[in-house]
Amino acid sequence: MNVEISDLTRRFGRHQAVDGVNLQAGPGVFGLLGPNGAGKTTLLRMMATVIPPTTGRLQLLGRDPGAYGTRREVRRRLGYLPQSLGYYPGFTVAEFVEYFALLKEMPPSRVPGAVATAIERVDLGGRARARLRTLSGGMLRRVGIAQAIVNEPELLLLDEPTAGLDPEQRVHFRALLRDLGQQATVVVSTHLVEDVGAACSQVALMDQGKIVFQGTPAELTARGTEHGTGDAPLERGYTAVLAAARS
Amino acid sequence: MTAATAPAGTDGRPRASAVPLPAAGRLLRLELRHSVMLGLLPLVVALFWYNGYREVMALPPMWNLRAMTLQNRLLLDLVIPATGAAAWMGSREGRRDMTDLLGVTARPRWSRQLATWAATTAWAEIGCLACIAVVYVMTARQASWGGPLWWPAVVSVAGVPPLTAIGFAAGARFPGRFVTPLITVATFFGFAFSTQAASGDHSYWQISPLTSGAFDIGAAPGVASFYRYLPDLSIAQVMFAIGLTAAVLGGLGLSAANGPRLRWLTALVTAVGLGAAGTAVTLAGTGRLDPHGMIVIPALHDAASGQPVRYTPRCSRTAIAVCVHPAYAGVLPAITAAVGPEVTEVAGLPGAPARLSQVPVAYQQGPGNSISISVASRSQSAFAVPDPIPGQPGMTSAEFAAQLAQTLGLRLMSDVILSGGDRAAELNPSQAQLAVIGGSVRFPPSVEERDLAPLFGHLLPVPGSPAARAARRFAVLTPAARHDWLAHHLAALRAGQITLAELP
Repeated sequence: MNVEISDLTRRFGRHQAVDGVNLQAGPGVFGLLGPNGAGKTTLLRMMATVIPPTTGRLQLLGRDPGAYGTRREVRRRLGYLPQSLGYYPGFTVAEFVEYFALLKEMPPSRVPGAVATAIERVDLGGRARARLRTLSGGMLRRVGIAQAIVNEPELLLLDEPTAGLDPEQRVHFRALLRDLGQQATVVVSTHLVEDVGAACSQVALMDQGKIVFQGTPAELTARGTEHGTGDAPLERGYTAVLAAARS
Repeated sequence: MTAATAPAGTDGRPRASAVPLPAAGRLLRLELRHSVMLGLLPLVVALFWYNGYREVMALPPMWNLRAMTLQNRLLLDLVIPATGAAAWMGSREGRRDMTDLLGVTARPRWSRQLATWAATTAWAEIGCLACIAVVYVMTARQASWGGPLWWPAVVSVAGVPPLTAIGFAAGARFPGRFVTPLITVATFFGFAFSTQAASGDHSYWQISPLTSGAFDIGAAPGVASFYRYLPDLSIAQVMFAIGLTAAVLGGLGLSAANGPRLRWLTALVTAVGLGAAGTAVTLAGTGRLDPHGMIVIPALHDAASGQPVRYTPRCSRTAIAVCVHPAYAGVLPAITAAVGPEVTEVAGLPGAPARLSQVPVAYQQGPGNSISISVASRSQSAFAVPDPIPGQPGMTSAEFAAQLAQTLGLRLMSDVILSGGDRAAELNPSQAQLAVIGGSVRFPPSVEERDLAPLFGHLLPVPGSPAARAARRFAVLTPAARHDWLAHHLAALRAGQITLAELP
C-alpha cells in the first residue's frame, strides 16, 4: 500500500479538521469526496507532508514521513497540486515545470525530457514558452498538474484538479488520471462527483473530519438508489451517505 | 540549454539539452533569468552616474583619490537597489502563495533560497563590477602615474553580499509587500550612519565597507602616493562582509532547516560568520593612523607593505626645477605658475636651492576625528603640495595658488633673504628684509590681510608701515629686475646693512 493512515487527526486550535481517519490506498485513482469544510484539503496536506498530523499514524510509500530523511525520500517520489496554485508570472511554462523538476531532485540529465513529456501530457506543448502571466486559469491549472507529474510520482495528490478546466480538458484530464493510476497511487480530492465516477477505482467520502464511506464508485451509487437526491446516480449516493452520517 | 531555455522548434515545443548542467547550476540559471535585480541594473547605472561617477570623475586623475572615493560612493549607490531587490526576491514565495507547493519538494528550503539569493547577488555584483570597470578604465587613461588600487575595489565587491543577504533574509522571514521598502530604507540609513559614527583611528565603526581611510582625511592625494596602499583595514572589512553574509544566510537556513545535518551545518555557518564578523570589528578597533595617512591594524599589518614607493619625479623647466611625485604631474603647472615669480627672482642667488622637491606630508591622529598634517622634511629644498588639490571638494585653483604662495613662495623668499629657513622668526629680520620679502611674494587676490596676520613683523611687513610701503615699491619691479638688485645687494641685505630708503 502506498498510503496507510490510521487514527489520523489534525487540530487547528480548537477546531478538529481531521478526526480519526483510517485509510489505505494502493495503485489506482482514489477519489476523496466531501462537502466544503469536510477536511479533504487538510487530509491531503498531511499526505503531502505540508503539515504534520496532530496524532495518528501516517505511512507514505512504505515510509514514515515524520523523520526528515524519509520525508525527503517520499517527497522525491511525490506529486502535489494544491487547491490554490501559486505561480511565478514571469516564468514560462517550461521553466516553471523545470523548476519543480529540479526541486524534486530529479537527475539533471532526465529533466529536459521529463519537462517536455509532462507539458505534452497536459496538452500545453504548444505553449511551452508562454509566460505564465499570459495563460488562462484553466491553462494554469494544467501547468500545476504538469509540475505535479513531472517526476513521474508514485504518489500523486491532487486537490480540486479540474477546477477551471473546460469540459474538453476535463475529459482529457480524466483519461490522464486513469493512465497515471496504472502505475501510481493518485488521490484526487474533489467535490465534483462526476470526476470520481469517471476516473476513480476507489472513493472515500468525508464529512466533518471523518470518513463516512469508503468503497468503489459503484458501491456509492448503490447507496443512493432509495434515499438520495440529485441528478446523477453517484450524486444520489453521495447525498444519501451524507444524510445518513448526519442523522 | 535546457527544455526551459532552449529555443522552441517550429511547433513551439522545447528541445532537450545536449549537455546537462548540474541541478544547482540549472536552478541558478533559472533564477538569474528571473531575478528582479536584472531589471534594476539600469537604475544602478543611473544612480551611480548621478551620485558616484560624476563626483569620482571630477576628481583629479589619481588612483588613490578615485579608488578610495569610489569605494565610498559605489556601495551607497548600490544599497537601495541591491537590498530592495533581494528583499523582494526573498519574499517571493510568500507573496506568490507558493509556500505549500515548494514546501513539499525534496530540495531543502535553504538550498532553494540560496539559489535565489545567489542570482540576485550575482546581478548586483555585475553592476558593481561594471561601475568599477568604467571608473578604472577611465582613470587608467587619464592618470599620470601608478596603477589601479585593487583593495578598495575588493571591499566594494565584498560589500554587496551582506546587503543582499540582509534584504533577502528580511524578505524571506517577513514576506509582506511593505518589508521591501522598510528594510531598504533601514539598511540605507544604517549604512550611511556607519560612516558618520567613526571617531578616531581606534573606532570600531571603521569596519563599515564605506570607510576607505581615516575619517578626517579619507581619500587624500597624499595617502598611498609615496607609500603603498595598506590593505589592513580593507582585509578587516572584507572579513566582516563575508562573516556578516555567512551569519545572516546561516541564520536564515537555521530557521528553515528540518534535518539534523542541515541544522548543524547552518548553525556552524552562522557561528563561523558571527565569529569572523566579530573578529573583524575587534581588529578595526585596534587600528591606528600611520604617518602616511593609512590605518594600520597591528594583527594584520605586514611591515614590508610600509615601504616607500619608487618613482621618478616630474620636474618643471623653470630656473629652479620644481619636482613633484609623478602622480601630481597634473598640478605641476599650477605650482610653477603660483611660485614662478619667486623662482625667477631667487634662481642662482647664494643660498637659493637648485631644485625644489615635493616631500610627503605626515599625518597624526588628534583627539576625536582631528588629524594634523605636517611636512615630513625640514630641508630647504623640500616642500609639500597643499592637500587637497584643485578638483577635490573644497579646493579651487585660486585657493591652491594662495596656499602655495603662503607656504612655498614665502618660504623660498625667506630662506634666501634671511638665509635662515624656519628660524626666520628667531632672527628678528630687519625692516628692509621684510620689505623685500613682502615685495617679492605674490599673494593671489583671494588672500585676505587677516589670513597673513600671524606673519606680520616676522616674515612680512606690518600693513601701513614704512616697510609695507617699501614692499609695494619693490613689488612694482619685474622679477628679473628684482633678481638683478638682489644679486648685487643680497649680502648687504642679509647683514642688515640696507635701509628702507635704499630699496629701489
